[in-house]
Amino acid sequence: MHLLLSPMQQTDKLISPSVNWGSLTPLLVLLGAGLVLLVGAALSARGWAKGLYATLTAAAAVAAGVLQFVLWNSTVHHGPKSLVGEALVVDGPSLFIGISICAALLLAALVTDDYLRREDIDSPEVYGLYLMAALGGLVMAASNDLIVLFLGLEVLSIALYVLAASHRKRIESQEAGLKYFILGGFSSAFFLYGVALVYGATGTTRLRGPESIKTALALTVETDKHRALLVVGVALLLVGLAFKVAAVPFHSWTPDVYQGAPTPVTGFMASAAKAAAFGALLRSVVLSMPELRDDWRPAIWVLAILTLVIGSTLAVVQTNVKRMLAYSSISHAGFILVGIEAAAHGGESGDRGIASVLFYVLTYAVLVSGTFAVSTLVGRSGDGAHGLDSYRGLGRQRPVLALALAVFLLAQAGVPLTSGFVAKFSVITAAADASSYAIAIIAMLAAVIGAFLYLRIIVSMFLEDGDAEGERVSIPFGTGAAIGISVAFTLVVGFFPGWLLELARDAATRLY
Amino acid sequence: MLAASGLVAQNIAFGIVALIMIVGALRVVTTKNVVHAALWLVLVLAGAAAQYLILSAEFVAITQVLVYIGAVTVLFLFGTMLTRAQLGRATDLNNKNWALGIPVALLLLGTLVYVLIDSFHAEKLVDDPKDVPNVTTQQISDSIFRPYLVPFWALSFVLLAALIGAIVLARKD
Repeated sequence: MHLLLSPMQQTDKLISPSVNWGSLTPLLVLLGAGLVLLVGAALSARGWAKGLYATLTAAAAVAAGVLQFVLWNSTVHHGPKSLVGEALVVDGPSLFIGISICAALLLAALVTDDYLRREDIDSPEVYGLYLMAALGGLVMAASNDLIVLFLGLEVLSIALYVLAASHRKRIESQEAGLKYFILGGFSSAFFLYGVALVYGATGTTRLRGPESIKTALALTVETDKHRALLVVGVALLLVGLAFKVAAVPFHSWTPDVYQGAPTPVTGFMASAAKAAAFGALLRSVVLSMPELRDDWRPAIWVLAILTLVIGSTLAVVQTNVKRMLAYSSISHAGFILVGIEAAAHGGESGDRGIASVLFYVLTYAVLVSGTFAVSTLVGRSGDGAHGLDSYRGLGRQRPVLALALAVFLLAQAGVPLTSGFVAKFSVITAAADASSYAIAIIAMLAAVIGAFLYLRIIVSMFLEDGDAEGERVSIPFGTGAAIGISVAFTLVVGFFPGWLLELARDAATRLY
Repeated sequence: MLAASGLVAQNIAFGIVALIMIVGALRVVTTKNVVHAALWLVLVLAGAAAQYLILSAEFVAITQVLVYIGAVTVLFLFGTMLTRAQLGRATDLNNKNWALGIPVALLLLGTLVYVLIDSFHAEKLVDDPKDVPNVTTQQISDSIFRPYLVPFWALSFVLLAALIGAIVLARKD
């Protein structure tokens, strides 16, 4: 008995870090909804009424989004703050990325409901995984510690591996899940090794604040001794994150996984996972290691250019629309990397770079969710009709749907009066402000090459005759609502971008 | 490099265990039998546990044995048996692009070895064993529940996600 008690008596010295529960509410809402959903589904014998799972998920997404708006207001008035012993932060970029992820979750939940009914899959766990993935993404975007960041990354990734494989009747889906799992596990290992090396060089995994990597780098005496270690560590961190955002040369999984995964999941992957990974890239490297920027900025530069060029050119030669969109999402990652490169310059042009990245991430998340929502419907039952010829004649068969897809594609191409144009314009001007003229010019050229791909789909929809035998595309309510929201957002931001640009600029300057 | 007089025995032990680990690791990737590969992996992981013991980190060593040898490898073996995978020798385990991996692997190895030597070649272990910093299990637990409280929570989310994932993949329709 004495043996058992003695360690317990020592624990009264333990002081836990204070937890700011109020600021954690967005995370808690997502976690709580996930648990309620799983436990409730397991306890009820015949399952819930169809649609209730999706409603709960969508409600959690909206609630988490609204709570982040509330936190945004308090950040504006009281400044950013750190939570739970500085492991997490609530500041402009974390809230902005968090809201993007919640928007992606809302759209994904709406689309997935109809998808699961059409494919006759009864699986409440899918929504649990969506909620877990969004939770991981929020943790990544708000982390102030490399270990927390890694764990957020793992929560997001594990949920996405399974989501990719969740259509169990399609062998392609299984293959996509396995491929994503093996390559993703590999990239996580690279990231973790990078964390270990950075820790070896600086003696901490905290990113900013007292006793952090940022302060260690500012006191160059100690870190100069470990400079090579630090640089290689940062390089490995970049490899891990570049894999997640699908930047060339770490993109080879993207087309196969995007094509094989259930289409609503592909939309979620392209929007939420990318938003979270860019948030993590901003937080871990760009904001925390400005002293090392001469070492890692060239790496971002090369990644951005390779991603832009290869993403845009390979997209042109595809014949499967989901593969096309996969390559187009690679080239969008290239555009966001252009913004990151501008952010890497620091100072005022750096802030503009961060703002452009945040703006791009949010608008792209909505845009790509909408695009894949349309693609889910065109895929028809079986989720297999994704060839370019499946889109033939859609303009006559379903004019409104075709028009919505045309809006999304034109926005992705960067046509004026859409959100995509404003996003592309803001990253390119940020690059030009930071005097990165070469990268700005290459981005413009890539946009022109990429436009060909989008026009090809539009031409196929409106100008070519469709085959009359094909199953008629039906538009259920949830997916229709998701597409409607996305179109409205894309056009409103396209016509009146001022307020959102203002918000992104505010977010970029309100840093912890 | 590490020739502090009181620690010679530890250096020799390190060398022997490291050699066993390298041989084991090479056999993991070269053996043609999946089950053998898993068993060679046990040797590598046990070697890592032994290294932790040499560094007098007994808690980490025990955790290593419990988690990696006790759980992960056993899971590998169960997984191999339950999925009706081929248990004997297999000839098609190698990817046809395996040769491409060699230069990349060597480059990575070279870089990592270089940076580790570059950073730590001047570090010496202390002469007197009494001066060795004593990291107790209690200190580890204190740091888990103090500065690393959030990672500890987040870890439970990872497990939760994996658990839900297992349900999705394993349930019968």
